[in-house]
Amino acid sequence: MLLAFALSPLLVVAIGALLLMLAEAFSKVRTGLALGTVVVFFAGLALSASVWLYGLESIPGLEVLAPWLIIDRFSMFMNAVLCLGGGLAALLAGGYLPEHKIERGEFYSLLLFATLGAMMLSASGDFLTLFIGLETMSIGAYAMTAFRRTSARSAEGALKYFLLGSFAAAIMLYGFALLYGATGHTDLAGVGAGVKSGEHAPMVLIAMVLVLAGLVFKVSAVPFHMWTPDAYEGAPTPATTFMAVAVKSGAFAMLLRVMLTCFGDARSMSWSSGWPPVLAWIAVLTMTVANLIAGRQESVKRMLAYSSIAHAGYLLVGVVATMKNPAQGSASVLFYLLTYTVSTAGAFGALILCGRFGAEAVSYEDLAGIGRRHPAAALPFSLFLISLAGFPPTAGFFGKWFVFRAAMEGGFTWLTIIAFLNSVLGAYYYLRVLVFMYMREPAAGAPIATPMRSGYVNFALILSAFLVVVLGVSPSLSLDVAVKAAAAFGGGAG
Amino acid sequence: MNLGQAYFWICAALAVIGAVAAVAAKNPIRGAMGLLLMILSVAGLFLALHAQFLAAIQLIVYAGAIVVLFLFVIMLIGPAASTPPDKRGLPSRIVGAGIFALSGIGAMVLLVRSALAAAAAAPDAGTAPPLPPSDFGGIDTLGRVLFTHGLVPFELSSALLMVAIIGAVAVARGKQSDPTVAAKTAEPSKTRAKEIAS
Amino acid sequence: MITTNSYVLLSAILFTIGGIGFLVRRNVIVTLMSIEVMLNAVNLALVAFNRSMPKAHTGQLFAFFLIAAEAAEVAVGLAIVISIFRLRRSVRTDEADLLKN
Repeated sequence: MLLAFALSPLLVVAIGALLLMLAEAFSKVRTGLALGTVVVFFAGLALSASVWLYGLESIPGLEVLAPWLIIDRFSMFMNAVLCLGGGLAALLAGGYLPEHKIERGEFYSLLLFATLGAMMLSASGDFLTLFIGLETMSIGAYAMTAFRRTSARSAEGALKYFLLGSFAAAIMLYGFALLYGATGHTDLAGVGAGVKSGEHAPMVLIAMVLVLAGLVFKVSAVPFHMWTPDAYEGAPTPATTFMAVAVKSGAFAMLLRVMLTCFGDARSMSWSSGWPPVLAWIAVLTMTVANLIAGRQESVKRMLAYSSIAHAGYLLVGVVATMKNPAQGSASVLFYLLTYTVSTAGAFGALILCGRFGAEAVSYEDLAGIGRRHPAAALPFSLFLISLAGFPPTAGFFGKWFVFRAAMEGGFTWLTIIAFLNSVLGAYYYLRVLVFMYMREPAAGAPIATPMRSGYVNFALILSAFLVVVLGVSPSLSLDVAVKAAAAFGGGAG
Repeated sequence: MNLGQAYFWICAALAVIGAVAAVAAKNPIRGAMGLLLMILSVAGLFLALHAQFLAAIQLIVYAGAIVVLFLFVIMLIGPAASTPPDKRGLPSRIVGAGIFALSGIGAMVLLVRSALAAAAAAPDAGTAPPLPPSDFGGIDTLGRVLFTHGLVPFELSSALLMVAIIGAVAVARGKQSDPTVAAKTAEPSKTRAKEIAS
Repeated sequence: MITTNSYVLLSAILFTIGGIGFLVRRNVIVTLMSIEVMLNAVNLALVAFNRSMPKAHTGQLFAFFLIAAEAAEVAVGLAIVISIFRLRRSVRTDEADLLKN
């Protein structure tokens, strides 16, 4: 019974997805689906919190799941973040899909199953469950990207995402196969022990390169980011939100687990012969390239896509910081994921709110003057953009602050300076949206974006605005939680 | 050369021929046949590796389902399935593939060298590994493992299959039920954005 | 003598062929088949390693789920191909440049 309780966040999402699918298939009423999905996600969130409060230490029998699933504070934290991201995406879908006349029940099932995949991914303790979770999450995301069936953009974004995603998965799988050959294990802990013993050095090295390439692709870091803008722009905006928020969080959970468990030995984590310098350079490239390209975009949705790549770069800085202090580095990544989830979901939500059917807000021009005409839409948008740019007193500021502090204390002063300069660079294009919203008037004859009305989207915006402010004003409670969640990696550097 | 070795070399050669045919074919139907050849030879190698159950699964799922699915889609698409060769972006593609091939060959050289070094260090390590128990890789043993040790991934994979079913239906089901006029009116604002962007 | 290394080498060759095909070809169907070639190479490596470590069925179990997952992935992939063909009447990947800037 307690075992079911420990698994309840996963179970509630799985069962909820099945029930909603059946309800969609056998009932004439189509309106309650979005509400049901939101309820399921927030139930998952509440259950993760209650399992956390109950304490995993007092739940016996978790070793039954070994080595497939690791139910620890880390996975509970990730469950909560993923359910929050999925719930916000479901709220946005509840407003967006009916407005743009593409509401079909499958979207909600895909959303729930893809989130379930991400939760499996962050709890996996074996390459096999990791792969199953990854595929569940990715297939759901591919299908959601292609969901708008009459749009070539949607289909082509999905195709690019699918092809590159499968290629990356194949590369990562070959790495898993080689690690199995070198160590005789597919469970992360066993592989970690095998890698530590230092046998089969060349095979492990090749495997590490392959696995790292696959992971870097999944977090959409440069140079494996080509799919991101296309998939993000082509997808319906709630699906974009899901990809930017939940897929990225799941991928970072996987990255942390794999790198710190499998390649967490002293040699692999050293600057001279391990992965940190590789990830550090990828982080530098990712931040710089993404910020430079984002500044040149004329589509706000595409700008937000590049911004999400840039945020992957900041997150990688936190991952590099695990080299010196695994617990502090991963805690900063976890806290950043939380702040990034609420800010990004909010920003996409505000973009959804600004566009009605037939006049979706896409470019900066579409937003011109909206601050004066519709302050209720522009005000939350500004808040989320300020948070993404990392100004106090918003959540984004503390997210960046803790990542940079972890990097500084890890001795990566140069990396922190580059990351800081990049966030200054990034502020330019976030503030440019504000300039358009408040200081420009739409050009004569241009279609004027009028906000849509939807209780779902309003609720999503209010919720994420609330969280952005609360995390920005008093981050200590959630940071404390993130630190406890990351304690799983405390002894990683061994 | 004994029978076992000859079997390996024949299967290996056929697998490589099939793989090359699959990726290089001008006509995707020939490509699918190449893929089939490779799948059959890999199934043959599975038999030599004491994986009888997987050899059967390989035939049923890959040859029986995946290749047929490919052929089905090729038939559905018709003549458009074989695209004429085009040179656009060819240099960058060649460079990408070249880098991939070079790193692949580099990795293989590394592996072979370390294997040779290991063989030189321990002469008896170069021989075939000891024979596994006779029921190794059979449907009985693997099925038992699947439903005891591997129960958790087995259950989790149901979510994977479910999402694939829903996804395929959501993406490929016929025309959208709502009026396509709707989508057409939605496009102009996007094309405008595209004009601004380019 | 045919050792595990021979099988792994063969699988590496197949994997490289598949990867080159993926990167060079621009026909979506062929690209998908290249991915299948790569995944078959992964399966071969897993089973070959399992042969040299016959204490448990770890590699074969992995390969089993890989085959199942592949069928799922191909179903969705071909669904996307069909959907793109309906809209564009073509299956060339570099016509997916609609979104490029």
